[in-house]
Amino acid sequence: MTVAQILPVALAAVGLSLVSTLILIVAVKMHRGRSGARSASLLAPYRSALITIASGEDEDGQAKAALFAVPATTWDRLRPTVLGFLPKVRGASADDLSDLMRFHGEIDRATEMLTSRSAVRRAHGAYLLGLVRDRLSSPFLLRLLGDPDADVRLVAARALGVIGEPLAASGVLGALRTHHGQIGLPAWVAAEALLAMGAEITPALQAGLTSEDPAVRNVCAMVAGHGTFASTVPQLRIVLASDSEPDVRASAAVALGQIGGADDVASLVRLTEASESTVLRRIAATALGDLGQHEGLETLSVLLGDVDPRLARLAAESLVRIGPEGISRLGEAASGVSTGARVAGAALEVAGLRGQLPAITAGVR
Amino acid sequence: MSWPGFIEGLRQGITAIMNLIATPVLIYFLAVNTLMLVLICLAVWEFLHHHRRKGFAGPQEAASSQLAQGVSVVVPAFNEEAVIVTSVQAMLALRYPHHEVIVVDDGSTDATFERLRVAFDLVPIQREIPSDLPTRGVILDVHVPRNGHTPLLVVRKENSGRADANNVGINVATEPLVAIVDADSILDPNALIEVTKPFADDPTRVVATGGVVRSGNGCTVVDGRIVQVHLAKPWLVRIQIAEYLRAFLLGRSGWSRFGALILISGAFGMFRRDVLVEVGGYDPDCISEDFELVMRIHRHMIENGRDYRVHFVAEPVSWTEVPVTAKVLRVQRRRWHRGLWETLWKYRGMVLRPRYGRVGLVALPYYWAFELVAPLLELVGVVLVVTGFALGVVSTPYALMFMAVAYGYGTLVTMAALAVEEVTFHKYARWRDLGAILLASVLENVGYRQTTAWWRMEGWASSLRGKKQVWGTMTRQGFHDDSPAVAALGHEVHAPGGGDTGAHAMSGDV
Repeated sequence: MTVAQILPVALAAVGLSLVSTLILIVAVKMHRGRSGARSASLLAPYRSALITIASGEDEDGQAKAALFAVPATTWDRLRPTVLGFLPKVRGASADDLSDLMRFHGEIDRATEMLTSRSAVRRAHGAYLLGLVRDRLSSPFLLRLLGDPDADVRLVAARALGVIGEPLAASGVLGALRTHHGQIGLPAWVAAEALLAMGAEITPALQAGLTSEDPAVRNVCAMVAGHGTFASTVPQLRIVLASDSEPDVRASAAVALGQIGGADDVASLVRLTEASESTVLRRIAATALGDLGQHEGLETLSVLLGDVDPRLARLAAESLVRIGPEGISRLGEAASGVSTGARVAGAALEVAGLRGQLPAITAGVR
Repeated sequence: MSWPGFIEGLRQGITAIMNLIATPVLIYFLAVNTLMLVLICLAVWEFLHHHRRKGFAGPQEAASSQLAQGVSVVVPAFNEEAVIVTSVQAMLALRYPHHEVIVVDDGSTDATFERLRVAFDLVPIQREIPSDLPTRGVILDVHVPRNGHTPLLVVRKENSGRADANNVGINVATEPLVAIVDADSILDPNALIEVTKPFADDPTRVVATGGVVRSGNGCTVVDGRIVQVHLAKPWLVRIQIAEYLRAFLLGRSGWSRFGALILISGAFGMFRRDVLVEVGGYDPDCISEDFELVMRIHRHMIENGRDYRVHFVAEPVSWTEVPVTAKVLRVQRRRWHRGLWETLWKYRGMVLRPRYGRVGLVALPYYWAFELVAPLLELVGVVLVVTGFALGVVSTPYALMFMAVAYGYGTLVTMAALAVEEVTFHKYARWRDLGAILLASVLENVGYRQTTAWWRMEGWASSLRGKKQVWGTMTRQGFHDDSPAVAALGHEVHAPGGGDTGAHAMSGDV
């Protein structure tokens, strides 16, 4: 076949594709315009009621009643707006919107979606059940933590967190494991979900801190610190002292900085030694500041002159957080000629700007 | 030789050349179009995947997460007085649990720093800057807002180029993720949430992400946010808008879905800080430092046997100002093509090497064959067809049909991008804007493509001749910002140097 023979065929194909694409663009835009206008006119009578519920001002229940009476065809168009409001509201407003969803059969439909062959539909179902905080759905959502699709697992974990079902904690921790080629849940998703489940997950955290899986130990340490699970401190100390994974030790150090006490200063100080990794040293310096114990002052003062400028800065910030004693140490360092003088001076300047150091504020240009 | 003899000889020469190259040109044409079709299909797949999952992506949860990784937004700025305050306002107002903004004033000779100082009430501090990455420009001073709480840091340094300014910003950055953003870019409020999502979902493997960059010319900005998306009036800008849609909605998305994204725009890219330090940061000697950096990350990761991902987020996150004059456009396109050539040449050892996987076997050969060489072939084709037509070697219907197919296909690719845009984001609400982009996609074939092809060849040639590389002068008009505070500062200023989308590959293709 020659070029001259191919050209007319190619031209026809290109022309046909151009026309088809053009028609598609115009059709999509026209459909959106018409659909938008139709939705707007159908929803106009209910707009005020929806805003009343979302703003928590439906004291007499009239708005709720009006929205319960929405016909099925109109509800389909109202539904996306209600779904859009749900993650943004709390308390009575969220309960009212959830009731609305339940009344219009959305919970049943979402539960059915959990067994769909489509991963997108399963995830949508899980997301919706989380939004309406449907506690009865927890067993179904727990099952989805083993779903072959990563997005479904992730949405299910989030939904369990939003629902706040503490019995799901072990399931969420179990979903962190990578097995059969499936990547486990991202640590932060699991941690967020666990934090939302409240104090009742303490036994699961304690068990998790002794898990064989470092990902599980890591998340448990993160959650223990952020959620102030004080009863996990003994286990966190063991993890900090003996865990084989640097990441897990780092999370334990952060957690002990948040919920530990004076007894933990010595172990954190050991982590700042030059033989430890740069990451661990920096985390330990920050944790000493979070801990706020004056036993850490000496070590932090020495770290001001460390060869790692980032570690020196973190030590200076920690001294500010410890309070007057730490600030006094910074003042001494800043007035000297040691390598830490500049770092200490900078920390004092920033503290002054933040109003943590009123006497110095006036001195800053 | 007599004149008729010369004409006859020329006619025979042209005929011989055309006969010789007819089959190779046809094969090239088929190859480039087939690959484009594959990329379009991959991009559509990527967009549908992204769009269907958007409903449960949970941006609200990400925005309020107390465990989300912090982000340092690094903004290199050289003579950006027209846009800097608007941009920094927008960056500080981004929805994200914790992020800091670091502006590196790269020795500006205009009022860039002064405008920042006034707008954010800056005061100097003695901040020690780590030297994780080697830098060249001497640091002059470091400033923070007087209130001590606004997460903004401005570093002033001697001029040493954008790449070096980026490296200074990375050194200053305190968060685990670093976003490099052009000073003339306006980010969408959810930009950080969208672009950090791949890092959050797959924290151990994702090392870099980029998002869709669009032209903000003609859009209305209030308090550092795009509130109305309209097309600018000049056709030169409209054609570039069509180019951006094509490059970002089809090109990057397609490559990302294929797992071989080798270019993240300098206008907005996010990286793991530890990886940036590990690979040595930006190369200050390279004119296309953004492209070079991503290539270096690929090579480093592969050579060290690391399982990694470079993702493109199919979500519009950044709006940038594109050149409004041919003079500025010429400078930009020369630089882009020069940068493309120099980076491809630097990494030529990766081409067709199975060790480098899809990057070495597909993406790099594609860039060599269809991005670097495309303007040369386009110009040769135009010269041959026009000469052949003048000499009567080529029949008029044949020439017209050839050009109609070639340029019709280019238009089709742009229209496919526009269809994706209309189905997914539909940012252009007005029919006339949509119509103007459609018309621009046709008009770009009449003069624009050929002219930019010539400029690109100039850039390539200047590199081959060993001419000194310069960024040239970018004329900034600034965004049309309706907020009173910014309006008081005024715009319409000429700013040499300046930002860049770092798009590099914008050749009428993807």
